[in-house]
Amino acid sequence: MDQSSKNIIELIHLSKYYGRSRGIEDISLAVQQGDIFGFIGPNGAGKSTTIRILLNLIFPSSGSARIMDMDVVRDSRKIRNRIGYVPSDANLYDKMRVHEFLKFGSAFYGLKNGEETIRELSELFDLDLERKIPELSMGNKKKVSIIQALVHHPDLLILDEPTTGLDPLIQSRFFELLHEENKKGTTIFFSSHVLSEVQALCKTVAIIKDGRIIKTEEIASLRKKQLKKIRIGFKDPRNIRDLSIDAVESVQTDSGKILEFMFSGDINKLVQKLSSENIETLTIEEPQLEEIFLHYYK
Amino acid sequence: MNRILFHMEFRMNIRSLVIWSLVIGALIFFTLSFFRTVLLYQQQIAGMVQMVPAVAMKMRGFSNINDMFSVMGFYSANNIVYMMLLGSIFAIVLSSNIILKEEYGKTAEFLMSRPITRKEIFYTKLTMAFLNVFILNFLAALVSLVSIEIFKSGTFKISPFLVLTLYTFLLNLLFASIGIFISVIMKRARPVTFFSVGLVLVFYFYYSISRMSGVDGNFGYLSPFKWVNIEVLSSSYGLEFWRMAGFFVSIAILILFSDFIYRKKDILT
Repeated sequence: MDQSSKNIIELIHLSKYYGRSRGIEDISLAVQQGDIFGFIGPNGAGKSTTIRILLNLIFPSSGSARIMDMDVVRDSRKIRNRIGYVPSDANLYDKMRVHEFLKFGSAFYGLKNGEETIRELSELFDLDLERKIPELSMGNKKKVSIIQALVHHPDLLILDEPTTGLDPLIQSRFFELLHEENKKGTTIFFSSHVLSEVQALCKTVAIIKDGRIIKTEEIASLRKKQLKKIRIGFKDPRNIRDLSIDAVESVQTDSGKILEFMFSGDINKLVQKLSSENIETLTIEEPQLEEIFLHYYK
Repeated sequence: MNRILFHMEFRMNIRSLVIWSLVIGALIFFTLSFFRTVLLYQQQIAGMVQMVPAVAMKMRGFSNINDMFSVMGFYSANNIVYMMLLGSIFAIVLSSNIILKEEYGKTAEFLMSRPITRKEIFYTKLTMAFLNVFILNFLAALVSLVSIEIFKSGTFKISPFLVLTLYTFLLNLLFASIGIFISVIMKRARPVTFFSVGLVLVFYFYYSISRMSGVDGNFGYLSPFKWVNIEVLSSSYGLEFWRMAGFFVSIAILILFSDFIYRKKDILT
């Protein structure tokens, strides 16, 4: 099997402009089958634009996007048969009850056991199927939105800020369910700006900034290879410039006795350099994804 | 066409259809019920109408005073406006929102993640809009026929009635097509009800003014209302090729353009 056949999503030099405004620019990305792929970036970075192209809600200005080796524009119907999508805003048909909406949504797939799956998922998420849609809170609407995306057991789940409005318990159940679905073979494309979620759930992450992908990396290697969080306690106040440490990315001093910084160079050289200093404490930590993220956004 | 979406749309629109049908049906019935009163005061009315300028009489579809006292003359002057004007408003409001509501209601994201193509969405919703217009026209025609049978005096020929009904139906379909066209050319999703109703009213007032001012030349035909021949008592009254062709060609062009634009359109929810 060649590399491209393993990719469930492939974006090739994808750009989208809204008139003169930038949506996304020259994005190339590959999501492998079976992955839980995090797509992180702040609001307006281009996450939703990318997802809307994948769903063929909008058309790319240039480049192409493929899902399961099918073109998102030409083969949208076939693709939609095999994907589930949770939008960032759970907007549902107001004139329906929850079970009517879910029945309507699942009817498109011709499911034999749709009702049963709906009942199971609604019990898991503690959702009342008899409620009218306009009576639902944002969290309950989100639950409906999640169930409609999972009811047909899709090969690919596209989730756009899926946890907004969910309480921690339901969020935890949702993540467990996602892990279970992933074990069964579902690939998950998880767009979020909540880094702790991505850190907890995803195997791979792409960071998008100003419409461009600035880093795609496995979560584990992103933590290991790139940055270390260093904290040094000196006996006497010191200035970071006097230490002439290379590859210092960010610095924070506390009365000159404490230096905290992110370090992306060779840790052995740093330790060597510090050996001649009069230090009381030295802490080298794995940074949180949020700190790595901020590093990329500097 | 998608059966599941069609079924859902029908359920969503049924209440509106029932309300519009009841209102228009009631207006038709009660207006026709005055025909007997008109006949009762025929001489006094004829005396008053003699002072009315001929152009004003023509505007209402009367070529001579006796037309007022035939049931079809009365119907075309007083009743058909309900289906021409209110039916067109119903058609344009329904059709201009039937696709667009998915965008401003932000349900397009849900619908378009189902295994359904834009072509299926477009033609399912178009069919639903046309079916609603057909049902409204059918019910209005039925109420009209029953009312005419109840309140008529003398003979009543059904063929002019059927021709006028067909013209009105085509007029409503044309406005439904205009509504669909408006909805697909909107770049940003927002309700277009006021704009759609305004458009129908502008066309109607233009049609009324052009008839009142005696401008019966080609400019009057800029309004689709003029394409409906309401002179039902004319001896040559019947289906005219150019009117039918005008309706069918306009509807077909609007649908084809709308379909083309919708398939290429960015759905910005």
